[in-house]
Amino acid sequence: MAERVLELRDVRYRYPTGAEALDGVTFDVGAGEKVGLVGPNGAGKSTLLLAIAGFLPAEGHIRVAGHTLTASTARDVRRHLGLVFQDPDDQLFMPRLGEDVAFGPQTMGLGPAEVETRVAEALEAVGLAGYEDRSPHHLSQGEKQRAALATVLAMRPQILALDEPTAGLDPRARRRLMDLLRGFASTLLVVGHDLDLILRVCGRAVLMDSGRVAADGPAEQLLADRVLLESHGLELPPSLADRA
Amino acid sequence: MHHAMLDHFAGRDTPAHRIAPAAKTLAALALILATVLVRRDHLLPFAPVAAALAVYAAVGRVPVSYTLKRLLIVSPFAAAIVLLLPFLEPGHVVWQADLGPWTVHVTDAGLARAAHLMAKFFLCAATTLFLLATTPFHGVLEGLARLRVPRVFVVQLAFLYRYLWVLLDEGMRLRRARLARDAGQGPWRVRFRSRAALVGVLFLRTFDRAERIYWAMAARGFDGRLPAPAVRKMQAKDAVFLAAAAALALAVLLLDRLLYG
Repeated sequence: MAERVLELRDVRYRYPTGAEALDGVTFDVGAGEKVGLVGPNGAGKSTLLLAIAGFLPAEGHIRVAGHTLTASTARDVRRHLGLVFQDPDDQLFMPRLGEDVAFGPQTMGLGPAEVETRVAEALEAVGLAGYEDRSPHHLSQGEKQRAALATVLAMRPQILALDEPTAGLDPRARRRLMDLLRGFASTLLVVGHDLDLILRVCGRAVLMDSGRVAADGPAEQLLADRVLLESHGLELPPSLADRA
Repeated sequence: MHHAMLDHFAGRDTPAHRIAPAAKTLAALALILATVLVRRDHLLPFAPVAAALAVYAAVGRVPVSYTLKRLLIVSPFAAAIVLLLPFLEPGHVVWQADLGPWTVHVTDAGLARAAHLMAKFFLCAATTLFLLATTPFHGVLEGLARLRVPRVFVVQLAFLYRYLWVLLDEGMRLRRARLARDAGQGPWRVRFRSRAALVGVLFLRTFDRAERIYWAMAARGFDGRLPAPAVRKMQAKDAVFLAAAAALALAVLLLDRLLYG
């Protein structure tokens, strides 16, 4: 395996209510790998993303881009982890898109010229070039989702982690996002129920259930295994189900 | 969902829109200050302000109906005070009515006072309205930042503006979901309680959203310090505009002085 960008060893987290959310999650993601994280509702997928970003006090070993996650390194970890939340209204909090995309690079301490370059570059990458002055509430859902992606792209993270990126998107906006993600060279971790997206974008799939990794393998094989998927509350992706 | 936006017409491209936001914000403040400082109870010093605002609105293509509607919406705040004045202010009685044991007087001084205050109110409201109608909200924020308004206030306003719509959307969705199942019958207590619950749910969701927003910010390196808003440089035309506004404000004060000696 190539250089590892993400290492998870026996990651555990229990909600304050006592419910076990993560029950010993272990897997690695190599540089440039595109991994789809799938599983039924409540499997712990989104919780795992929050744990990786250091928002939840999880036990176990988490290492992102060479930084072992501790309370004091959470900031370094987040700098290399581009986390995009499910609801772009949470992600886009500045009055103008340009300022929002600039936020990350500014907190990295970059100079104004560099920040400007990165903003233009990131907006260009998601097909929103020239949208600097638009306010988020004037964007369509698809544009918001791509804008949210731009806000982390501008930080040039080593790994992009997306939570349900196609939720609420119409087919055209979804297709557009899919093509965008396929074209990215960076390491990708996509969480979601959109198995077709994962099949098209990711080479590898990790199936989680009840806070554990239930299966891990090439996306084409794992997502074509009807018995495996159905035993974990999932279904074959529509594109494969049609063929069967 | 769509809401009446504060800066509904701010996206247009007219000479008024092209002036730097900071210049416009400062000009609006100067005009409001001069208007407020006019002593009672003349109306003449307001004339140049009204004329200038009319020209500005025409150049900025702010629709008249939009202006009147917005002014009407905010007018109750002023009306509550202004409508009582003609009856309360002592002076020469111009009209009176007998209401059984009471007699109500309307005085000339009271009328003049009411007209003066009303004019003041509408001019200040119109100034703010035209600023917002020709400047995107982020431009106003930029203007405030430029005027060295403390960053926390500017940022607070930015968040308010950003999430007010999201909150309204959320509230509207909840309300619709409730109405969709409200057959309009049954004990009023049940129906009243559902309304109270709606407010509670909205509060909880706001709380959750605040946490998610914080996470999204922290994920991008937020450490409690907020970046300064970008401020564009002022150009010659902005300086001219500002100078004109300052001259107008001075003229108003001068006129006020002449009338009172």
